[in-house]
Amino acid sequence: MAQVETPHFDSEPPAFGHEMRKCFSFDPDYINMNHGSYGSLPSPVAEAIKPYYAMAEANPDLFHRFTSIDIIRDVRKRMAKFIGAAHTDEVVFVPNASHGLNNILRDITWEEGDMLCSCNTTYNSISKTAEYISDIPPYPENPQFTIIFPTTRSEIIANWRSYLQSLNQTRAISAGKLGRRPKIVAVIDSIISVPGALLPWQEMVKICKEEDVWSVVDAAHSIGQELDLNLAEADPDFWVTNCHKWLFAKRSCALLYVPRRNQLILKASFPTSRAYISPKQRNGSNFVEQFEWNGTMDFVPYISASCALDFRAWLGGEHVINAYCHRIAIEGGKRLAQILGTEVIDQEQDFQFTLNMVNVAVPFPPTISSDFAIDMAFRQKLLIKKKIYPAFFYHNGKWWTRCSAQVWSQVEDFEILGEAMLEACKEIIEEFGDGSEEKPKTSMEDTIEKLAKTELNDQKVFLFK
Amino acid sequence: MAPRSIEPVPLEDVLKLNKFFRDQRAPRFGHDFLQYYSFKKDFVNLNNGSFGALPKIVTEACNELTIWQEENTDYYYRIGFIPPLIGVRELVAKLVGAADVDEIVMVANTSTGMGLVLRNFLWNSGDIIVRCNTTYGTVYKTIQYIHDTTPGVEISQFELLFPTTRQAVLEGWKNHIDNVKRNAPQGSKIVAVVDSIVANPGAAMPWKEMVKICKDAGVWAIVDGAHSVGQETLDLSASGADFFVSSAHKWLNAKRGCAFLWIPKKSRDIMITSIPTSASYVSPGPDRPETNIISQFQYNGTIDYTPYLSIHYALQWREWVGGEAAIHDYCNKLAREGGRLLANNMATEVMDPDGEFTLAMVNVVLPFPKDFSATYDASVSTALTNKLLSQNIYAVTFWHRQLWWTRVSAQIWNELSDFEVLGNALVSICGEIVIEHQNANIPPESKARSFNSYLEHPFPGAVAYDTNDGAGSLRPVTATTVVPVGYHTHLASIRP
Repeated sequence: MAQVETPHFDSEPPAFGHEMRKCFSFDPDYINMNHGSYGSLPSPVAEAIKPYYAMAEANPDLFHRFTSIDIIRDVRKRMAKFIGAAHTDEVVFVPNASHGLNNILRDITWEEGDMLCSCNTTYNSISKTAEYISDIPPYPENPQFTIIFPTTRSEIIANWRSYLQSLNQTRAISAGKLGRRPKIVAVIDSIISVPGALLPWQEMVKICKEEDVWSVVDAAHSIGQELDLNLAEADPDFWVTNCHKWLFAKRSCALLYVPRRNQLILKASFPTSRAYISPKQRNGSNFVEQFEWNGTMDFVPYISASCALDFRAWLGGEHVINAYCHRIAIEGGKRLAQILGTEVIDQEQDFQFTLNMVNVAVPFPPTISSDFAIDMAFRQKLLIKKKIYPAFFYHNGKWWTRCSAQVWSQVEDFEILGEAMLEACKEIIEEFGDGSEEKPKTSMEDTIEKLAKTELNDQKVFLFK
Repeated sequence: MAPRSIEPVPLEDVLKLNKFFRDQRAPRFGHDFLQYYSFKKDFVNLNNGSFGALPKIVTEACNELTIWQEENTDYYYRIGFIPPLIGVRELVAKLVGAADVDEIVMVANTSTGMGLVLRNFLWNSGDIIVRCNTTYGTVYKTIQYIHDTTPGVEISQFELLFPTTRQAVLEGWKNHIDNVKRNAPQGSKIVAVVDSIVANPGAAMPWKEMVKICKDAGVWAIVDGAHSVGQETLDLSASGADFFVSSAHKWLNAKRGCAFLWIPKKSRDIMITSIPTSASYVSPGPDRPETNIISQFQYNGTIDYTPYLSIHYALQWREWVGGEAAIHDYCNKLAREGGRLLANNMATEVMDPDGEFTLAMVNVVLPFPKDFSATYDASVSTALTNKLLSQNIYAVTFWHRQLWWTRVSAQIWNELSDFEVLGNALVSICGEIVIEHQNANIPPESKARSFNSYLEHPFPGAVAYDTNDGAGSLRPVTATTVVPVGYHTHLASIRP
């Protein structure tokens, strides 16, 4: 059976910190503080997958009909073990978390009265997916759970329980009217995107079971950041994670986990596979076969997940990597908050939500606008002018920055960021006003227009909002 | 490579005309071109149709694009990729005769594009989807899935059997569509999937006429044009179709994972969401901008945009080798001549001797005894695939209308002698398979079962899987396991 070759590392790995940049191909002037958004491909992994690209071109038929399929089955086995799935055939590859989550949410047979529950902190495209699903017949409801930081894990857990109980009361009433019991499906983030915060998702999944609610876990940020995943134990109904984020796989590569008991719920992959069998004609699960071929694509990113695991083992392994990143996140976050004169979002709660992403308040007056144009201004002033850029987001009346700590990060990066941000904030208040004036200094539309033009040298642009 | 500044990079700098194209002159079509591709030594590639092939220079350009992507990923994904992507969409729009750039969105492959369209329709009981027996597997099953999941949505299947003539196809299609229309419930919609070029057999259809027949009858026409772009000249605006999808990584030399979906303005209302749904999704209603669906496709989940952006280089490559017309001419001529030669060599027939359905792909009967081919046997498909690959040559094989066929793709690296080599290989391979089958003493009623003797010597590194209609998980077919064939051994018949 064809297997992925373990990449051969000749030397000792570089030290964590700036030395580690040797293993990545960043612009040397660029300080990468936002690994969390799109991931980063280590050069050794890029090298390790070159033979597979060569195979794909040496004999496309052999590669696509046999070799790649064989290899990917092997990689799935490895990944299933890594995330603690009970069986390899509960784990398949999908291009990204959005794709996997869309596959699940679209394939559930929705009925009148059903509820698809999301959260104010649900990732924007998944919120929109939930919105879309409630836009089309049979128009399931889309109730929202709310998480406002600062908070605590126990507060979230308690709120989640009361929330689901209240949904159950609503359900009981609908059941009476409909003559049948509708279902409740909840999208739960394992690690919220903005703020970058680890949730007590396993407890929330448990509560879902107690309350007869399906749990769809958006674990986009989990693999490679959350240690010792054990899905057989956590037992969510569905779970999706991006390997191209914290695991260092090539874009785009994600895992979709569907325990055996739920595989008939997910009727078809997207796009539908040639291997699809009508549910009433199925003799057992049709899950894995459907996800093995959904049209021609670049399959090498799926193979790269295995090479990424080997690279991480070479660096010292999951615990060593994440211990470093976590330490830098905390120390760096504290230092950044000090320079900015603000706070880390969970510093009063013992940083209980912080793994490798840390969220620090931006020093703006409380009247500052929440408009997207502020984010665009930071992009202009930090990403383009200063070549340093963390994510920015507006939450609970404030702007925050979310910094990712990775194997190349050092606390000094946060110091450089702090100085750059102080300058940028000053400029933004001058340009936009601090929100306290009656009439804003510049209209948001004009500003967005101007920023877009500067960014792209007057080239035509679709503004992504 | 010297690090690039991350200030906004002008499009021309990212996509600068490679000096390769300036300094080198293209050879004549034929084996002289093999040096520009990365095939294994002596591999005779007669199957461009399935997976395409990436020229070396386009591969290098893609590597550059990846380097650019990794230098500053935030810049790339928030700002950088947008202008070149729009540029690609503009190039495609021009190439295929779309009205403007905002009728073209990029998707991973044709299966995705077709799935996007079919799943965006709001299906109601009484609606009818028209497909053919030859509709490509993923699309065929997408239609099945819609039928399975939406009560009352019916499938009407048109039987397309080769050999045939264009006239017969059009008459048959008109009868079928008119019949469906006549018997359809009041207020229902009828959606037809039309292949511009069928996969198995590889047959260029009179798709524009078929689309017209649909439109005249008030039937939606979704064209699966997977094989079209780069193999035939397209003028989509003139076609009248409602949607069109084509894979650029087949005949247009783009990197795998690159296709486009044409959404003419008249069809926009059908497309509610990309899949996955994008953060820029706006619910249908008066507040939704007209071009919202187009914006949705720009970013709807992190992907590698390199395959899409590779079109910039693929088109430069095609210009350099001689241009679309020259490529089409060479391939079409070679397909016809090669098909005739192959049929002679194997003492069989070309499916389409008049060439009505032949562009760059040609179909020839395999030299099996007639009764051998009477029923479909997946193990024969697997055996053909494995034996061809073990001889360092490949063309698709398929079963149609009680005959086994090969579908051969003619490309700019092929010559007539390749067809000769294929003919010799197939004659010996088919002979082997017949003997192995006889020796296995399979009783006639179990003809649909895999035969043991082949299984004892599978192609090294290859695995043949039968899914046995979904019972249990996939398992390798071994010498000690005789597996009843439920449906096609999917490995051997993946995207033929």
